[in-house]
Amino acid sequence: MARTVLTWWIPLLILQSFLLAIAFGSNEVEEEFSESLLLKPLPDRKVLAHFHFENRAPPSNSHGRHHHLFPKAISQLVQKFRVKEMELSFTQGPWNHEHWGGSDTLSSMNAKPVGVELWAVFDVPRSEVDTSWKNLTHALSGLFCASINFLESSTSYAAPTWGFGRSSDKLRYGSLPREAVCTENLTPWLKLLPCRDKDGISALMNRPSVYRGFYHSQRLHLSMIDSGMLLEQSLTVVLQPDTVYDGKDLQPSWSLSSLFGRKVVGKCVLAKSSNVYLQMEGLAHPEAHTLLKNEEFELSIKPDRTLRETSSVLFIFDIDKSSDSEPFDLSLTWKLPSKWSCQQAPLHASRFLMGSGNERGAIAILLKATESQDKLSGKDITNGGRCRIKANVFQIFPWYVKVYYHTLQIFVDQQQNTSSEVLKKINVSPSADKMSSGMMEMMLELPCEVKSVAISIEYDKGFLHIDEYPPDANQGFDIPSALISFPDHHASLDFKEELSTLPLLSKFKDKSLVRSYTEVLLVPLTTPDFSMPYNVITITCTVFALYFGSLLNALRRRIGEEERFLKSKGKKTGGLKQLLSRFTAKIRGRPVESPSSEPTAAAQSSVLSSKLLFKIILVAGVAAAWQYFSTDK
Amino acid sequence: MKNLTLVVMLLCYSFASSSGDSTIHTNNWAVLVCTSRFWFNYRHMANTLSLYRTVKRLGIPDERIILMLADDMACNSRNQYPAQVFNNENHQINLYGDNVEVDYRGYEVTVENFLRVLTGRHENAVPRSKRLLSDEGSHILLYMTGHGGDEFLKFQDAEELQSHDLADAVKQMKEKRRFKELLIMVDTCQAATLFNQLQSPGVLAIGSSLKGENSYSHHLDSDIGVSVVDRFTYYTLAFFERLNIYDNASLNSLFRSYDPRQLMSTAYYRTDLYQPHLSEVPVTNFFGSVMETIHTDSAYHAFSSRISKSKIKSDTPFNQLSEQDVKEDLQNTNNQNDELKTEKQKCPYSEMRADLHEKLKKIENVDTMVNLSIAVMILVVMVSSSLL
Repeated sequence: MARTVLTWWIPLLILQSFLLAIAFGSNEVEEEFSESLLLKPLPDRKVLAHFHFENRAPPSNSHGRHHHLFPKAISQLVQKFRVKEMELSFTQGPWNHEHWGGSDTLSSMNAKPVGVELWAVFDVPRSEVDTSWKNLTHALSGLFCASINFLESSTSYAAPTWGFGRSSDKLRYGSLPREAVCTENLTPWLKLLPCRDKDGISALMNRPSVYRGFYHSQRLHLSMIDSGMLLEQSLTVVLQPDTVYDGKDLQPSWSLSSLFGRKVVGKCVLAKSSNVYLQMEGLAHPEAHTLLKNEEFELSIKPDRTLRETSSVLFIFDIDKSSDSEPFDLSLTWKLPSKWSCQQAPLHASRFLMGSGNERGAIAILLKATESQDKLSGKDITNGGRCRIKANVFQIFPWYVKVYYHTLQIFVDQQQNTSSEVLKKINVSPSADKMSSGMMEMMLELPCEVKSVAISIEYDKGFLHIDEYPPDANQGFDIPSALISFPDHHASLDFKEELSTLPLLSKFKDKSLVRSYTEVLLVPLTTPDFSMPYNVITITCTVFALYFGSLLNALRRRIGEEERFLKSKGKKTGGLKQLLSRFTAKIRGRPVESPSSEPTAAAQSSVLSSKLLFKIILVAGVAAAWQYFSTDK
Repeated sequence: MKNLTLVVMLLCYSFASSSGDSTIHTNNWAVLVCTSRFWFNYRHMANTLSLYRTVKRLGIPDERIILMLADDMACNSRNQYPAQVFNNENHQINLYGDNVEVDYRGYEVTVENFLRVLTGRHENAVPRSKRLLSDEGSHILLYMTGHGGDEFLKFQDAEELQSHDLADAVKQMKEKRRFKELLIMVDTCQAATLFNQLQSPGVLAIGSSLKGENSYSHHLDSDIGVSVVDRFTYYTLAFFERLNIYDNASLNSLFRSYDPRQLMSTAYYRTDLYQPHLSEVPVTNFFGSVMETIHTDSAYHAFSSRISKSKIKSDTPFNQLSEQDVKEDLQNTNNQNDELKTEKQKCPYSEMRADLHEKLKKIENVDTMVNLSIAVMILVVMVSSSLL
C-alpha cells in the first residue's frame, strides 16, 4: 500500500515542481535593454541623430535589490525617494520648430528648454512631496555632475496642477535655464548604460562631434509601469554634415563616420535589439524606395526592412552583422535636389520682452498660425460645429519678476479680446518675495482660422539683496521657458505594418501630446555697483582722516616752540650741514644761503600761521559741506 | 581566545588614538579648485584640469577627487573646440577627455561650499560624490588657482577667501582628523601670503609667488584667443609629465625644478609645519595614490601586527615602489619617514602582543584566560579613568 502511494506521489511531486518552475518562469520578466539610433535628414541641410536606449526591469521584489542590466543608481533613487515618474533633460541650443518639426513625436518628446529641466511625480503623502523633491535634486546633482540642487529652493520650482499636461498634486517641476551642459553630464549618463560608450550604438558618441552640434538634448525618463521600471535614455543631436557647397542645391551627403568620426562595430551584446533607423520625409516617389538605389538618393547599406507612413519612409537596419572587419557605416548620398517641409504644430510660439528701463516691463507670448493648421482644422471640430484649437500655456516666473495678473491681455488677430471669449481656464499662484516662484497656467480655446494670438502681462522688477546676486549679475537673469501644449493634438507615427516589437517604433506609435517650449528670456535687473561699499568706506575714511588729522595738528602744534627750536637749530648748524648746503648750492649754481636770520623767521612764522588758518578753514568748510550733504539726503 | 584578541585590539586602539601621528596612510584625496569665472580666465580652468589629469593618471580615482570649476569653458560658446580644453597651443592633450566628472561647477563654486567641502559640514542631502570623505590617514592635495592678492584669493570675482579662513578650515580639519598630511598648492599672484596664518601640523604649502610678485601666464594660444596655462602650473606639469606611478621622485626635486627666471616669480614653500624631510617624500604621496603593499602568506587575519613588522623590515622605502602589485592597500611609504618616532611608540605594544600570543598558546585553562582578560580590562578602565 505504502509503495503504491509513494509511486503515485513521486511523479506528482515532480510534475508539480515542473509546473511551478514554468509558472515562475513565465511570471519572471527578464531585464531588457535595447538600443536604437534614428537618423533623419532635415530640410535645412542638417541631420538629426536620435539615440534611444530603453532599459526595463521587473518589479524590484522579484529580484530583491539586485539588477543585471538596470542601473543600480536609478533603482536606488526610486526606492529611496519613491519616484513614480521622473524626467531630467540637459539641453543646449534652441530647437528650430520651423525646420526640424513641430508636431511629430520626435520634436514633441525631445525638443526641450535650454539648460536643465526636471520634473518628478512622487508616490509619497502630499506633505512629504517637497522633502522628497529636495532630496531628489541633491541626489541627481551628485549623479549627473550638475547644479540641479539649485532646484531645491522653493523659489525655483513649482507644482503645476493641469497646465503641464499631467494632473497630479504630487508633481513638481523646475528648470535651470543657465545651466551649462557638457561632457561631465554625458559621462554619468553613459555610465547608466550596460555597455557604456564602449560598444554598440553609444560608441558613436564622440564628445567633440556631439557638442559641436546645433542642438543637443540629453534626456532621462524614468517611469513605474505595471511590469516594473522603465528607464528611457535618449540623446538628440542636430548636426551639420561637412560638405562643400556645390551650387546645385543638393542636400549634403553624409555617413555615420563623417558625422561622428566613428563607426559602429557590432552591437552591445547585452542589448535585446539594436537597430538603426533612417527616416526620410517628403520623398517624391515613395513607392520606389524599397530599392537600394534610385534616382533621388543612394544608401550604402541595404535596409533590412522598409516601413511606410503617411508622410515618410522608414528604413530599418540591423547592426548585428557588423564587426570589426566590417563596421556599420551607413551613408546617404543625394543625387537630385530635394525639398520638403516638416510637420508643424498648429501654432508656433515665441516669447519676448517689452518695455525698457530697469523698473518695469512686460512679457509677451506670441502664437502664430502655421501652414499645417489647414490640415488639422478639419479634425478638431468640437462642440457646436465650430472648429477650435485648444492650447495650454504653462509659465513659471521667478519672484523678482513681479507679475501683475490683472494686466493680462489677450489679442486675437490684433484685436483685444475680453478674456472670457478665448480664455477658458486660468490658474495662478502668485509669487512671494524670496519665498516662492509664481506660476501661471492658462487654457485658451481659439478659433481655427486664427492668424495670431498675443498674450501680454506686465511686471515690476524686484530688488535682490546684495548677497543674492550671482557673480555675473550684469549679464541679466533668465526667465524659464514657457510651455505651450495642445491637448487635442497628438503626435504619432502611423505605420501601416504592425511592428510594435521594436522599442523605438512602439514609442513612436504611442500618442504623445504636441508641445513646444519657448525661448528663455533674459531680463536685466538693476544691479548695484558691487564695489560701492568699498568706495564709501574708503572715501569716508579719507575725509575723516583729513578732518581729524588736521584738527589735531592745529590743536596740538605749538608754533612758538617750533620757532624757538628752529632758531636754536639754525645757530647750531654744524660743519657737515654747511658743507652739504654749499654742495647743493654748487649744483644749483646759486650763492650759498646764509643761515636763517630773525626777519625771515618772522616772515616764515606769519606765512605758517596764515597757511594754518587757511587749512583749518578749508577743513571746517569741507566738514560742514559733508555734514550738509549727508543730512540733506 | 576571541576575548583576548579583543582585549589586545582594544589596547591597541586606545594607544593608537592617543598618538595621532602614528596613523597609517589610508588613502589619497585631491581637491582641485578653479576659482575664476569668465572666458578670459580660461587658463585657470586649464590649470586645474591639467592637475586633475595628472592626479588621475597617477592613480587617484575620480570618486576621491573633488573638482570645482567656476565656469564652463569646454562647452562655452566662445570655445571653437567644443568639449575640449587645452593647456598647450600644440593641442595634443584634450584635458576634458571623455570621462571628466566635475563635482562643483558654476555658481556652486563659492567660498562657503569650498569651506564646507574642507570641513565636511554639509547638509544631510548632499550626495557622497560632493563630499571630502577623508579620514585621519588621508593625504590630501589641495590645489587652487585664480586671482589673488595679499592674503586673499578671489572666488568668481565676487567673493574672497582670506588666509585666516583657509587656516581656520585647515585647523578644523586637523581637529576633526580629516587628514594626515595636506599639501596646499596655490597658483595665484602673491600666493605665499595665503599661507601666513596656517598653523596646523602636517601641512605643507607651495605657492607660485612671493608677496609683491605676480604669477604670469605661460603662453597665448592664438586659435583659442586667450592664454592657456600659467607658468607655475606649466612647469609643475613639465615635471610630472616625466613621471609615472612607479617613479619615486621626491617633493624636494619638484621644488628644486622651479626656476625663478622661468616662472618670473619666486615659488615659495612653507615646510615648517611638515616634519618628514622633503627629499624622502615621494611626490606620489600627494599627487598619486600609491599604497604600500604587504605580502601575506596566509589568509588575511589581524593587520596591525603585520604593519609594524613590515615597517621595521623595509629600510629602503623607495625601492618597494617599483615592485607594486595590486594587493591590500594598507600603508604608504611615507610612514617610514617618521618611522623612528613611531617605532618607539609602537615597540612595547608589539612586544606585549607577542608575549600575549605566546602565553595564549601555552594556556589551555580557559578560566585563567578569562581572569587574565578581566584583569587587563580592569587595568584599562583604571588607566583610562585616571587619564580622564
